[in-house]
Order: sequence, then structure tokens, then C-alpha cells
Amino acid sequence: MSNPPTQPVAGASPAGPPRMTLAAAMDRIAPTRDERLFLVLSIFIGVISGLLVVAFRIAIEWIRLLTLGSAPHGGQFRLLLVPAVAGLVVAALVIWFFPAARGSGVNQTKAALYIYDGYISFRTVIGKFLTSAIAIGSGHSLGPEDPSLQIGAGVASIIGRNLNLSRRRLRMFAPIGAAAGLAAAFNAPISAILFVIEEVIGSWSAAVLGSLVLSAISSVVVARWFWGPEPLFRIPSIALRDPRELMAYAVLGVFGGLLAPAFSLVLGYLRPRLRALPRWTQFLQPAVAGLLVGAIGFFGFPQVMGTGYDVIDQAMHGQFVWQILLALVFLKLLATTFSFSSGTPGGMFAPTLFIGAMLGGAVGAFEKHFFPHLTGTIGAYSLVGMGVLFAGFLRAPLTSVFMVLEVSGNYSIILPIILANTLAFLISRGLQPVGIFEVFTHQDGLDLPSMEEQREESVLHIEDAIQPLSIPIVEGSDTLEAVSRAISEAHSTACLIRLRDGAWYAMSTDELTSAAATLVPEAQIQGALKADRTPLLFPDMPLDNALHFFPRWPLLPVLNRASRGTVEGILTLDDVLRRYRGSE
Amino acid sequence: MALTPEERGARRNLIVRDAISLVTLFLITSVIFTLTLLLFRSFTKHRQELGARWKARGERALQAGHPGIAIEDLRSALAYVPDRATEIELATALAEAGKLQEASVYFTTLWESAPGDGTINLELARLAVKQGNEDQAIFHYQAALDGTWQGNGYDRRREVRLEMARYLISRHEDSKARAQLLIAAGNAPDDPAIKLAIAGLLEQANATEDALGIYRSVAVRREPPFAALEGAGRTAFALGMYRIAQDYLSRALASPLAAHFSGDEEAADRTMLDTSLHVMLLYPSFDLTPRSRAQRVLAIRDIARQRLTACVSTSPPGSPKLADVVSRWNQVPAQLTVSQLEQQPNLEQTIVLLGFETETAAATACGTPTGNDALLLRIANNPYVVDQQ
Repeated sequence: MSNPPTQPVAGASPAGPPRMTLAAAMDRIAPTRDERLFLVLSIFIGVISGLLVVAFRIAIEWIRLLTLGSAPHGGQFRLLLVPAVAGLVVAALVIWFFPAARGSGVNQTKAALYIYDGYISFRTVIGKFLTSAIAIGSGHSLGPEDPSLQIGAGVASIIGRNLNLSRRRLRMFAPIGAAAGLAAAFNAPISAILFVIEEVIGSWSAAVLGSLVLSAISSVVVARWFWGPEPLFRIPSIALRDPRELMAYAVLGVFGGLLAPAFSLVLGYLRPRLRALPRWTQFLQPAVAGLLVGAIGFFGFPQVMGTGYDVIDQAMHGQFVWQILLALVFLKLLATTFSFSSGTPGGMFAPTLFIGAMLGGAVGAFEKHFFPHLTGTIGAYSLVGMGVLFAGFLRAPLTSVFMVLEVSGNYSIILPIILANTLAFLISRGLQPVGIFEVFTHQDGLDLPSMEEQREESVLHIEDAIQPLSIPIVEGSDTLEAVSRAISEAHSTACLIRLRDGAWYAMSTDELTSAAATLVPEAQIQGALKADRTPLLFPDMPLDNALHFFPRWPLLPVLNRASRGTVEGILTLDDVLRRYRGSE
Repeated sequence: MALTPEERGARRNLIVRDAISLVTLFLITSVIFTLTLLLFRSFTKHRQELGARWKARGERALQAGHPGIAIEDLRSALAYVPDRATEIELATALAEAGKLQEASVYFTTLWESAPGDGTINLELARLAVKQGNEDQAIFHYQAALDGTWQGNGYDRRREVRLEMARYLISRHEDSKARAQLLIAAGNAPDDPAIKLAIAGLLEQANATEDALGIYRSVAVRREPPFAALEGAGRTAFALGMYRIAQDYLSRALASPLAAHFSGDEEAADRTMLDTSLHVMLLYPSFDLTPRSRAQRVLAIRDIARQRLTACVSTSPPGSPKLADVVSRWNQVPAQLTVSQLEQQPNLEQTIVLLGFETETAAATACGTPTGNDALLLRIANNPYVVDQQ
């Protein structure tokens, strides 16, 4: 059953009509207040988000220690029991108290931005914190990053509301908080900023970039104060020994590109079917998922339970043979599908990184075993594998590259990352055109903008609609009579007039006729012109820019940037509209 | 446009309200910070305790010979407090548990991050030994010798060198093993146990003479270890240095420590001592008086000729060596007295050498001799070192 987040509808939100009145008054008495507060609050948002994310991770670890013990291993019955019981508790909490805490957090943050004017309730933040910590800590195969992102966005929303910021500012606070939450969770500010831009906002905006950077940096400073400056994982020595090794990384990219859509398909298939089951089953679904995940752990693979950071670390340090790594790839995929599809709160990032690291490790270890002179360290493959699945599954190619660079702190691995991630992204997109977040959005009955499509939308330029010059060009000093003759000889309906100061004027025959009625034929045409001039347009400008000039001008000259005296061609409203129709 | 008095008041109120909000926000941040800090400290402390506890358990299991349990424990320890020493212990446990591929992958990863680490190279060498990869084993043993070590690197390098020598001996690479052992001996401290261990390995590497030198160097101590006396006697005996063997073996068997020796080993030593004594009684040493030497030469002649006669009568005809020896005996005067021999040292030497050649040829043609013939054959093998001091 479809159960969209229970956020207030736009009309009923605190940012409704009364706020507009207040906003108007504020604009008058303190016009720069929002702008100044925006930057200061970005720092507060970063700090508080960072603190909450640190507390969130500690809560997960404490719950894990208290429920699964300090060293869970196969054969312990608690591995079966704990995730199942936690599933029941989480389901009850989500259904009765925190319905908006369901899911990963990325789409909820996008919904807050695009639908609810940046509104995320305090209850959602608390619910996300509690339910995700219980679920992940008790062994459900989910990650803390996406919840961290939503917690950060929620903090931002709460702060913004309490300071009565304008609706526009309030809306922009959600992604700023999201960046802070994600940055603290990953200990990687650049990746967090890029992810929010790639997946939440969808476009680069100078207005929000400064605040994003401030909040992300603040949260990472806080996180590092606690966890230290070390990256999320201990990174083994990594170097590209031989350019031929890129072939091995390309193989990894291909495998990642094939695995990512398979993961998407499995999730996309199971999730809506479980949600379509009767409501009472939703109390049991997380428990059953927990039982299945626990069974995987019980029968010898407890590594798939929880975030799996320590297992990623072990894989990067060569603690597993390729057969085990490959088994972990498929078991984690299965466990994550169960946990996430059941509606258990928790994120997809950590499982994605886990599966990618195991896949990379498996490919690396296999290649190292059979072609020892071709491949480098297994740790390098695990690291690149994380980026590969991030690019292929989460469809954030830029973030995937920077995430690996930030997490490893090693730029010598950039070539393999770019190669493998690009291959994985292209193959995955070719096989599964719709990204996983978009799939979830559709399943939730929301209609949020697709960031992937937005990124790849081709913007039309003037050069796409420009037509060759087919009208006469006359000088401003020419007489009305000469201009009339030139127009009639060219069988044209307009002409371009070049003025002495380098400006241009597009004159229609109607305007010329009006001028001829009041002036003598020997009068110079520049005396008949109105005060304005045709705008300066160049071929590389967006086509949109030209549209609003047409009611005034019959056509527009397109000039050469190097020489404004040279007309590259002309643009008419018909040309523009024809081009837009053609690109549909 | 200028603000009205009401608007100015509203702006003042707004500024005050914003200031209060920011202060409140600061206070809230401080409270969250304090709570997070307390939570973090307790968490960190608990993690450290868990890490130490699991590491100790893993190490105990490893020492108790339960590598399977140690693997789980050390993995848990690493999850809480990652450090290289624990990683090496875990990889070692994997190797000891027979998970050679996992151990190999793990150690290789560790090695890639620290190729100069002595411990990691040593463990990789041991893995290569188990996997039968000689080139890798030698490479990593050598890298371990050249690598860095925590603690007493001097002793660890010597241990690695001895281990490498043992491996080379097992691969019958005696000359390479000897080279390593001689370096170890040259760098070894004045510790009898270490020197005796090196000497023992040299014996195994068929570097008996080098072993004898080390045994003797240890045996010169005021209270020489029994093993040094026994080793010196044994190696001297093997080299045909019967005077030295007699000396050390008699001292060894007279030592009160010999009581701890096993019966078989003691019997073997006594046999060697007896043989040495008999050899020395037969050997025509230049240290003897001319008369005694002449008497022994005549005795050698008689023993050799009897052996030749017996051998010729039992062996099939046609052995060119025997024929040559018979022909040369025919050129030696049949009747010789002690006095005659005393006067002819060249003849004396000719008879001794012919006697040795006779025993050697007879051993080839007629099989292993016994009794005095066997003693004479021993002398014949290396006559010039028999009474070497």
C-alpha cells in the first residue's frame, strides 16, 4: 500500500498565508535579515547536525553491542532473534508514532524541498534517529548515511522555522542541512555537497553553494573533533603500478555496471509488492526481514548485518578470499533488499558501499590470484568498487568519484576510479534507465523532479535556431527612400539598420510605412527610429533569452562576439518556436 | 522609504528576538555537545576495553594452539581497535589454522603497505614454505633479514637466518644454508646455546668442519657444555680426526652430564670413542718413536696383505685395481724387519700408502671390511688428519 510521508500539505503548512504577510513586513523593516541569518544559521545547522550524526552513530554502535554482543558470529541464536524483535518494535514506532521516518531519507528530503516548502517536523527527526538506530544497531542491513542526511535536513528545517525565515529561505535550508548530515556521516564534505547538488537540488546555484559549504564544513569539523581526522575506512597503500592495470579496473567497472541494475530491479520489484500487502502485515514485515537477515548471519555470514563498515575495512585489508567476498556481495544484496523493502528505516549508502567494496575485493583478489603481475592491491579494488556501485546504483557519478578520493585521501587512484565509475554508470543506465531514487519516488506516489534527467537535459542555444541573413542591412544615415527600395528589392518584411555607435535596429515594413507618413523621403532613417535598440544576442546564449524580446521586435540580429559589426544570422519568433517543437 | 516609528520598534524587537534566538541556539548546541561528548567518551572507553579484551583472548587462544578461536577473537579485536600487531597475529592465526590462501592474501595486503616489515616478510616466507614456493620463500626470508623489526631486531634477524637455513637444508641447498649459518655464527653473541644450535645446523648442512670449529670454540669454556664436547667428538670422528674425537668423546662420556644422555646415544658415542682409540693404536703417527712407527707399519702391511689375499681368492678375477695392488706388493721385499724399516723411511711410507690403497681397493671389490681392516680403511680415507690436534 502506498503511504506517502505525512507532511503537511502546502496550504496547511506553517509557511502558509499568515507567513506571507509577516514576510512582506520583514522585507520592509529588515530587508537583509534573511540573507545574513542564512549564513550564520548554516554554521549552526552544520554544528548541530554534526553532533546529532555523531550521537546517531554512537547510538547505533551501543545498540549493536547491547543486542548482538561485541563479537557476533554464526550459530548465535540472538542473531535470529534480535533483528526480528527489533523489526517489530521499529514497525510499531513507525506506524503509530513516526510515519514519516519510513524509508531512506533522500526522497523525503527532496519532498520537503519540492513539496512541503522545506518542512520536516521535529517528530520526524526524532523518529528517524530512534527507529534507524534501533534497526541498524540490531542488525538490519541498512546504513546510517541517508537517515543522517534527513536528520540534518530536519535540524535545518526546525531552526529555519523558529527564526521565521522566508518561505524561499526555508525551502533552501533542507538541502543545506542534508549536506551537513551527510558530510558528518561520511566524514567527506565535498562528496556530501556534490551529492546534495546532484541528487537533491539538481543544479548548481551560487545562492546556496556558500551555505552548503559552510554547513558541510562545520559538521565535518565537529565529526572530526570526535572521530579524528582519519577517513571513514583505514586505507591501505594504493598506487597504480602499471597503466595496463586499468584494464583490470575496467573489468570491475563492467561488473559493477551489471550488478547495479540487478540490485535496482530486485528492490524495485519487491518493495511495491510488500507495500501493497494488507496494512496489518506492515507490523510484521520488518520483523520477517530481520529474521531473514538474521538467518544469513546465523548460518555463517554475520558480516551482512548492520552497516558493515568494519567488514569493508577488513575487505580492504585483504582479510577475505575472493570466494567469500563474492558470497558477501550476493548475501548483502539479499539482506538489504529484505530490510529496505520491508519499510525499515535506514539508508542505502552503506549497503551500496559494502556491496561495491566486496565486489571490488572479489574482482581484485580473483585477478591477483590468477594474474598476480597485472593487479595492484586488493584494497585499491575494494575502494574503487565502492565508487563503482555508487555510480551505477545511486547514479551520482560525480559524487562517486569524489567520495572515493575523499575517503581514501589518495589522488593516485583517480584514473581507475574515473574509468571504472564511468563504465559502471553508462552500463547501468543503459540497462536500467530509471535511477533507484526515482523508482522509489514513483512507488511512493510522488512526482519529484528526476535529477538525472535534469542533469542531462540539453539546453537549446540561439545557434540552434539561427537562420541565415535574408533581409537587407542598411546604414542609419541612409534615406527613407533608399531603405524602402532595399526592402522592396529584397522582397522582405523587415530590415536591419546599423547605427553609427555600433548598435542595431530591426525595423518592420509597417514601422517604415509609419515613418514615411511623417517624414520626407530624403530624411535619414535614423531619425525615424524609436529610442530603444535591438538587444545584443550571440549564438552561444540560451534560446530562452531571446523569447521575451519578440513582442517588441519583428526579428533579432545574432552578432559575432569578436566583431559586433558582423551579423551571424537572424532569429524570428517562428524560428524559435519551430526549434522548441522540434526538440520535443 | 523611511520607516515609521512602529516599524522601527518592530525592527528593534526583531533584532532582540533574533539575538535571543541565536543565544538559545548556542545554548542548545552546547547542551547537545555536552551530551554527545559524554556518550562518545563512554563509547570510546568501552571500545578500547573490548578491543583489549578480545585481543588478549585471541593471543591466549593462539598460544594455546587454537588458531580457529584466535581468528574470531582477533577479528573482533580489530573491529574495535585496529592495529598492525593484531593484524599480523590474525594473519598468523589464519596460517596456523590452515587457511593458507586467506592468510596469504592478508599478509600480502599487509606487506603492500609495509614491504620492509620483518615480521610480515617472515610470515609470508613461512606461508611460501607451506605452499612449496621456494623462490617466494627465499625472497621473503631475505626481505625479513633486511627488514625492520620491533624490539630486539638483532636476535630476531638471527632467528630468521637460522629458520631460513633450516629451510634451505630441507631443500638440500647445503651451500646456501652453510653461507647463512656462517653469517649467523659470525654475528652470534657469546652464547653457548646459540652457537651449539648453529653448529648443529652446520652439521645438517654437511658443513662438518665448520661445525667442529664452533663446537671446539664452545668446548674451550671453563665448564664446557656436554653438547659441545659430544658435538666436537662426533664431528671430529666424522672428519677422520680420531685424536680429537678421542679427546672430546672421552671428556664427554666422563662428564656428569652424560648421565642425562639417552642409552642409544651414549652407546653410539662409546662406539665412536672405541673406534677412535683403536684407530689411534693402529695409526703410524710421526709422533711415535721410529721403532714403534716401524712396528705399526709392519702391522699395517700384515693386515693389508691378509685382506688382499682373502679378497683375491674370493673375488672374480679381472679387477684392475686389485691386480695393480698385487703387482705393487710383489715389488715390496717379502722379509722386512723393524730395524730395516727404521732405516728406510721411504719404504715405510710406501708400505703405509700401499696398505691404504689395498684396503680401499678391497673394499670396492670385496665389500665393507671389518675389524682392523675397517680401522685401516678409516685411516685410508684421510690419513693426514687422523692425529691432528
